[in-house]
Amino acid sequence: MINIKNVSHLYGKDSALKDVSLSIKKGEFIALNGESGSGKSTLLSILSTLLKPTSGELFFDGMNYNDIKDIDLFRQKNIGFIFQFHYLINYLTVKENIKIANEKAKDSEIYEILSLLNIYDIVNKFPNEISGGQRQRVAIARALINKPKVIFADEPTGNLDSKNSQNVFDIFRGLALGGTTIVVATHDKYLALQSDKIYEVKDGRIL
Amino acid sequence: MYQSIKALSANRLKTLLIYLSLTFSISAIFLITSISNGVISMYSSILKSDGDIIVTQAKISDTFFSNVDIGLMGKINGIDNVKKVSAIIVGATPIEHLPIVAVYGVSENRFENYHLIMGEYPKNNEVLIGKSLLESMKNKEFITIANKKFKVSGTFESDIGFENGGIVLNIEDAGAMFNKSASMLMINTAIETDINKIIDEVKLLSDDIDVKSTTSFVENYNQFKIIKISANVISAIAFCMGLLGVISIMSLTVHQRQSEFGIKRALGIPMRKIVLQIIQESAVLGLFSFISAFFVSNIVLYFIKNSTLLQGYVNGELTLTLTLYIFITTMLMVTAGAVIPALNASKTDPVILIQGSKI
Repeated sequence: MINIKNVSHLYGKDSALKDVSLSIKKGEFIALNGESGSGKSTLLSILSTLLKPTSGELFFDGMNYNDIKDIDLFRQKNIGFIFQFHYLINYLTVKENIKIANEKAKDSEIYEILSLLNIYDIVNKFPNEISGGQRQRVAIARALINKPKVIFADEPTGNLDSKNSQNVFDIFRGLALGGTTIVVATHDKYLALQSDKIYEVKDGRIL
Repeated sequence: MYQSIKALSANRLKTLLIYLSLTFSISAIFLITSISNGVISMYSSILKSDGDIIVTQAKISDTFFSNVDIGLMGKINGIDNVKKVSAIIVGATPIEHLPIVAVYGVSENRFENYHLIMGEYPKNNEVLIGKSLLESMKNKEFITIANKKFKVSGTFESDIGFENGGIVLNIEDAGAMFNKSASMLMINTAIETDINKIIDEVKLLSDDIDVKSTTSFVENYNQFKIIKISANVISAIAFCMGLLGVISIMSLTVHQRQSEFGIKRALGIPMRKIVLQIIQESAVLGLFSFISAFFVSNIVLYFIKNSTLLQGYVNGELTLTLTLYIFITTMLMVTAGAVIPALNASKTDPVILIQGSKI
């Protein structure tokens, strides 16, 4: 599904990733584990096509990153994002926030995903009217609306309590079982243990 | 559009600031342009009211300083297809507490241009008072001009608001007052006459005169050019102020909404859609500001027109063409002002979201 070969990345003169190679299969639930500053966020940014590596190659479904003509369209069709902070737009309702990712999404599709995430009843509420756990689930719903092949999550439980964190990981597990590839960057070792594979990132290298 | 309105109402303070900045700028453009057009239009109307051809002194910069021999009237009357020749002296004088009042010394055949609403046309040592001027005068029976006392013979009303704030007297009295024969001669020709032929014939009468068709005179009149250029410069400054207001406050708004654009970029929303959204928000604001400015300007112009203090000298002219022109200018201003913030928003790097903290 995703392959990176000898990828390195520099921020100015500082090296954030050093010669990393990695292969992720379809439907795998991967955890990138490491301390803050270890390079896991840079690795996640490169894997998710948000960041072009300084050197090395990235293949997505066999396609070279450099050959992708419309990276926006590519991301819209293939990739879903979940961040530590929900980044919901405060002036839009839950439904409108989800529609940002896909303007053409039908109401029935939105309701289906919200039902799956058990937040059907908040569809017309604004982000400031719902709890932190519900906001993160809305962010997951927004990531799922395009039926992406891969979901990248950066510290998705960073702002959640342990119960809500477990709920999010349970959702990821369910999605992976349904064939969606999940890549999570987390420093929480307990949650990382629930993935299929853990990659330990330290000093810009995979151990 | 719906999302743009929601985004604007979510950022109320900044939206209000842009709205006010635009409304003031557009109102300034409306007022300065309409007032300058009004002044030009009123003075042009005086010139066009009774003449196809205007005769002034040659080589002078302003009709105010023009001195033409009134004796030419008889010779011009003798030219074929000339229907009427009238003379006018344009001057100004302080009257009572008013620092400046327009004085029109006219030949007798020009009196009919001033519609009598009271009394009769002036004889020697008499003046006809404009309706607006009469309202602000304490002594309504006599006035003193240049230490000479004149009896008020009547009151007139003119379609040209400019004239209502002035006084009319016969050209002989005005000539003695301003020490000249006539400022201008106005020639009325028969219908379907070759004006250029008459102009050439009049030119032959004296080397000291300049003869032009009224249209050509108005188009080339230096004072009108100065008024137009000044109005355009002030309008351009107002335009730039509005533009800078939109750029600066829009930039602040865009910076505040960095996470919104970052998440959109991460989700693969194309840059052009983000640019379009910001420009649309700006356009919505521009539209509301334009409507507000239109009403504000009309209210201000109404008070200017009816202010006794201004004696009818200032009068705005808000035509459909001018309104359309300012609408296009407004849309240009808001679109151009939104371009830089919109491009900045569209270039938001989504990687900033992978920082693990709230932006």
